[in-house]
Amino acid sequence: MSLPSVNPAEIVKKQYFFKLRANIDAYSSLVGIQLLAILMSLWGSGSSGIYSEALSVDVKNYSADIVIAFTMIWGLTTAITITTKPFRFHDFTFVTNRITSGLSNLFFLLTISVVGGILAMLARHLIILIAYSFFNQELYGSPAIGKEFILGMFISILYIFFVSSFGYLIGTLVQVNKASVLIIPVLVIGSVFIDATMQRNPMVMNILEFYFMESSPLIFTLKALVSSIILFAASIVIINRMEVRK
Amino acid sequence: MKTVECQDLTKRYFRKPVLKQLSFSLEEMKITGLIGRNGAGKTTLLKMIAGFIKETSGELKVFSQRPFNSLNVSANTIFVDDQMSFPPAMQLYELLEVSSKFYPNWDMDLAQGLFDYFSFDPKNYHKRLSKGKKSTFNALVGIASRAPLTIFDEPTTGMDTAVRKDFYRALLKDYLAYPRTIILSSHHLEEIEDLLEDILLLNDGRVKLHMPMEDFKEWAIALKGPADLVLALAKERELIFKNNLGTNSVYAVMKNDFVQDELMQAKAKGIEISSVQPSDLCVYLTSSAKAKEGIDHVFAQR
Repeated sequence: MSLPSVNPAEIVKKQYFFKLRANIDAYSSLVGIQLLAILMSLWGSGSSGIYSEALSVDVKNYSADIVIAFTMIWGLTTAITITTKPFRFHDFTFVTNRITSGLSNLFFLLTISVVGGILAMLARHLIILIAYSFFNQELYGSPAIGKEFILGMFISILYIFFVSSFGYLIGTLVQVNKASVLIIPVLVIGSVFIDATMQRNPMVMNILEFYFMESSPLIFTLKALVSSIILFAASIVIINRMEVRK
Repeated sequence: MKTVECQDLTKRYFRKPVLKQLSFSLEEMKITGLIGRNGAGKTTLLKMIAGFIKETSGELKVFSQRPFNSLNVSANTIFVDDQMSFPPAMQLYELLEVSSKFYPNWDMDLAQGLFDYFSFDPKNYHKRLSKGKKSTFNALVGIASRAPLTIFDEPTTGMDTAVRKDFYRALLKDYLAYPRTIILSSHHLEEIEDLLEDILLLNDGRVKLHMPMEDFKEWAIALKGPADLVLALAKERELIFKNNLGTNSVYAVMKNDFVQDELMQAKAKGIEISSVQPSDLCVYLTSSAKAKEGIDHVFAQR
């Protein structure tokens, strides 16, 4: 009997579509978390006022920052979730090796980052619309449209994808050795303390600034994409030697 | 061609050896029964063949490739056991669809037929099935996938007798129509002995026996009669099992290398000769020195 030949790219594709269907719960949790974030955004982020005898002006800012932040947390947890045992086992119930499994996870996370990013950007409009319709307030400023909207969406997607690739690595490390659950927070918090006693800028802050304070969209894109690819490659290399279903 | 070949295959978990220098090979298009006591290393061996876990030392080849992390082996192998895990968000009919996409030889008609026969609800979820139903569904996927190497590790866990019989019958029928290499591990040899072509008996991480089932059925013989006579015959042979019956009578199982004349003479001396059930023989062959004294021994000292 001749064996059917196997094309890795074909398998990755099959696994990818399988994961889109199998991880349907990720989308419902996205909807839930974004609704929560939208509610919280309606408090307004930052308000200021001018008061005089004749006049008082209250200014409230509405933005989708909270929605994007929550979506990033969602991306992080979803990435960690799909590294856990049951999810890896699903692949091995069907056809896989560790590399195709990792690659299809990468494409899956990229897809949910795109979905999450688009919805988060659209949420900004929803927040403004609700504020406009239900609050007795004058509205200044306009919905982001055109180039601004596209850029905002693109950057949000990159943020979510970058955070989820980080989550994927963390999840992988935890799968390889449960002690990582302790070691990683100890390292992060420990480094903050050490940096504090040495009276220098905490390394963790430097890393966060490196990514989140970047003002040039082009350079940020490069930073986020290259880092995400490195994080995924590291995860796949680590998981590649791991046994399943002991 | 050999489907599975291994040479000095060893597996250790945290330095504790589970499999000790196994060497054997499985012919393609045969049903082999993997038999052994609890903890003999059956599941470990099967998972290694399926490519889930790594060998510690020695060589293992499946379809002439090292199975660990091999996409080719994964695509041509299915491993069915009660731990088989399916995404909780998918309904049973969706699971069949997904399986059909992944397994190139998948037969949807057969899957659908078995699905209806065992009266599964297409809209149900795998995690909501009872233990026996889960096993039945897993076994169904195992048969319908028609993978060139199909591995069943204790597939009948939780199934009732009727379903077990149906499963073995379905497996045999589909195997005859579409021959492939099947490895079946079970504790109930009496249920599968008619299905098996070869038997591979594992004991304590080693291969105890590997032979065609037909030979295995004739491999040993039981003699019952006066102790001195029976034991005299057993002396020249490998004694596998001995049970004292009363003061002066003994039941002894030994390797069957008698010629016809010897048996005739023994019969004339009043020794009863009988064949040994393969399932009993497996128990005798794999019992430890302690177990040979029987469970009663534990209670005798109280």
